[in-house]
Amino acid sequence: MSVSDATTALTEELAARDDMIVCEGVNKWFGDFQALDGITAIIKEREVVVVLGPSGSGKSTWIRCINRLEAHQEGRIVVDGVELTNDLRNIEKIRSEVGMVFQQFNLFPHLTVEDNVTLAPIWVRKKPKGEAEELARSLLERVGIPEQAEKYPGQLSGGQQQRVAIARALAMEPRIMLFDEPTSVIKEVLDVMKELALSGMTMMVVTHEMGFAREVADRVIFMEDGQIVETGTPEHFFTDPREERTKLFLSQIL
Amino acid sequence: MSNTDQATLAATQSQRPPFYRDATVVKWLAQVFTLLLVVFALFFLTTQALENLNRQGIEIKYDFLSIGLGSDLREGIDTDPDTAGRALWAGAVNTLRIAAGGIVAATILGVLIGVGRLSSNWIVSRMCSVYIETIRNIPLLVQIVLIWALVATLPDVELDQGPINGLLHLSNKGMSVPRLHIDDGFYQWLIFIGAGWLVGTFVKRRRERRHDATGRDTYPVLSFLAVLAAFGAVGWVAHPMFRWVGAIFDFIGDGFSSLTPVVVQVVLSLAALAAAAWWIRRFLARLRTPAGLMKLTDDDKFRIIFAGVGALAVIAFMLVGWPGLASWIINSGTDLLGVIADKFGDGRTGQPLDIKRPDVEQLGNFPNPGPAGLNLTQGGAAVFFGVVLYTASFIAEIVRGGILAVPKGQTEAAQAVGLRRVTMLRRVILPQAFRVILPPLGNQYLNLTKNTSLAIAVGYSDFVQVGQIVYNQTGKTLEVISLWMLFYLACSLTISVVVNFFNIRMKIVER
Ligand SMILES: Nc1ncnc2c1ncn2[C@@H]1O[C@H](COP(=O)(O)OP(=O)(O)OP(=O)(O)O)[C@@H](O)[C@H]1O
Ligand SMILES: [Mg+2]
Repeated sequence: MSVSDATTALTEELAARDDMIVCEGVNKWFGDFQALDGITAIIKEREVVVVLGPSGSGKSTWIRCINRLEAHQEGRIVVDGVELTNDLRNIEKIRSEVGMVFQQFNLFPHLTVEDNVTLAPIWVRKKPKGEAEELARSLLERVGIPEQAEKYPGQLSGGQQQRVAIARALAMEPRIMLFDEPTSVIKEVLDVMKELALSGMTMMVVTHEMGFAREVADRVIFMEDGQIVETGTPEHFFTDPREERTKLFLSQIL
Repeated sequence: MSNTDQATLAATQSQRPPFYRDATVVKWLAQVFTLLLVVFALFFLTTQALENLNRQGIEIKYDFLSIGLGSDLREGIDTDPDTAGRALWAGAVNTLRIAAGGIVAATILGVLIGVGRLSSNWIVSRMCSVYIETIRNIPLLVQIVLIWALVATLPDVELDQGPINGLLHLSNKGMSVPRLHIDDGFYQWLIFIGAGWLVGTFVKRRRERRHDATGRDTYPVLSFLAVLAAFGAVGWVAHPMFRWVGAIFDFIGDGFSSLTPVVVQVVLSLAALAAAAWWIRRFLARLRTPAGLMKLTDDDKFRIIFAGVGALAVIAFMLVGWPGLASWIINSGTDLLGVIADKFGDGRTGQPLDIKRPDVEQLGNFPNPGPAGLNLTQGGAAVFFGVVLYTASFIAEIVRGGILAVPKGQTEAAQAVGLRRVTMLRRVILPQAFRVILPPLGNQYLNLTKNTSLAIAVGYSDFVQVGQIVYNQTGKTLEVISLWMLFYLACSLTISVVVNFFNIRMKIVER
């Protein structure tokens, strides 16, 4: 089976699934600088999408728009059937379904690791404390740091903090996970992310980790200057890119 | 200790550096040396000072506190004090009133303005900026005198002017508002409030546990307040049922007065030793890990020894330094119990609280706001509003800085996990802002308290102004100054202790 056949097969299979994230002509400006320029993309249920692109190309801005940490100015963003508008109820609903892992982790330094993880389940999902703690323990187990529950973020290593950040996001039992550049990720974190991908989580990952993109991604999206330049399966993307700009980018990082 | 242990110990000891290079020894020597130096310096300075004073025929004695004072005070709990001591006490109460009220008011105003300056509403934030920049750049003394002068431009009071029994009485004599007044039944009612507090705390705990167990909103604080209010309401009518409590205090007072000083001394000594032992035990418990006791550092040992020596010093002071302490405790304890018994006395079955409204009365040739309301005289208003407005501008900046010091990523992370705004503020932003705000806030409280001494410029009867009257009449300058210093030191230390308590609770564990 040739590469393009595989791509067609995958496309057909994906088309049958539900849309999780739909972006239509999304434009965003910071002042007079256009950070997103006509972003149009559909991300299907259980799909793992890796977003690549040079620094400053708008990758972070895009995924921050998806849970409304930034507001887009034109176009439509629909997440799991709910459109992102100024309606606070929609924003709340989407945020509780979308987990996000920040590049700087942004853990709450005044809370223990366990309290970091249980905060949202208790105050947003209104879970009983015991149940939330149980959930936190199983999540910390899942990301491989069950013994750190009582420590404070300041006492952890970088990789451990990153895993707490993942556990915290998973604690809301989201249907979608957004990863903003977990760059310089250690192997353990990559394993956690792979495991998540295999478990059927819809994922959007901004990364420079080409290994992860090749191994796990269903699709790679390449951005430059706020635009989507090229989209394709990893095989297609890494071996046979169409666009000149993609070729240039790949030649620089590979 | 086993043989091998001793062998390794010996080996390490044989490699010890000479004592002047041994970190442990040097540290200990430095501590002991510093202590001796301080003790010696204090001893030298006091003996020297006393000697100089003696040579000039000046005696340091505090018996002027019990002689009469020829002047009236402008305001306070006692405007016509019998003795200088009583006058100073009234002055101290005035200072504490302004300081305590000022701290509360300045905090509220400061927080509002600080948050206002961060507001996205352009007009609000501009107005707050202007307030801060104006107020904090004008000397406090100027502001106090300015407010004093502004109050002086208000209309005169006239006896027929009213509002008699009004809500607010403003004149060039100052400001008067209704006052909550402790009435006869208050202390019996307080028993109900105490019981309500206990029951309320119990209910609150239970509701918190229910929240933890089910995740449902159980409003623990609201239920606490509801229980407290219910007890207060019932106690409002039912409090005379506690009339007999006074007899109990009478009984205890009788027993207390029949104690002999020796018994008190023994009890206090044991208490001092017990406190030291309890402290050391707690200290060691903190160092105990599941694997056994951690190795004690020199600091730890020093603290343990210090606790023990401290207890002994207290005992020595009690037995040798002030032998009369025990009988003083017995006497004043008996007095105190008598006063308490009286508060619950049989005749006291009136309302717990009463409201007295401002009135106007004739005082000499001048009509005055009467004593019924809560009065701030011209000077009092000037000092109060002066320190409040001034300190609020600094507190506003501290609050703003504290909130800005919480990184934007914290807000984003809280939003990303779906926390609502209120929950985010309460659980994520404020706990972190608070730890930045608290230490400088404590400084502002200290400043405010000390700045009330500017009252002297507008003739408000605060501790300093009364002290000045006292030394003008008695000539006891040094004694009064020493009392001033002790008083402000006590205030400052109290504030520091409270602030530090919260500071330690707020501390973030870092690596
Ligand atoms: N709050 C902001 N105000 C103004 N400009 C911004 C803001 N946030 C981002 N930008 C600009 O938008 C552009 C896209 O930024 P973004 O953070 O999305 O890039 P990125 O693709 O994530 O880059 P990197 O790989 O370096 O993280 C950049 O030029 C950046 O300077
Ligand atoms: Mg980025």
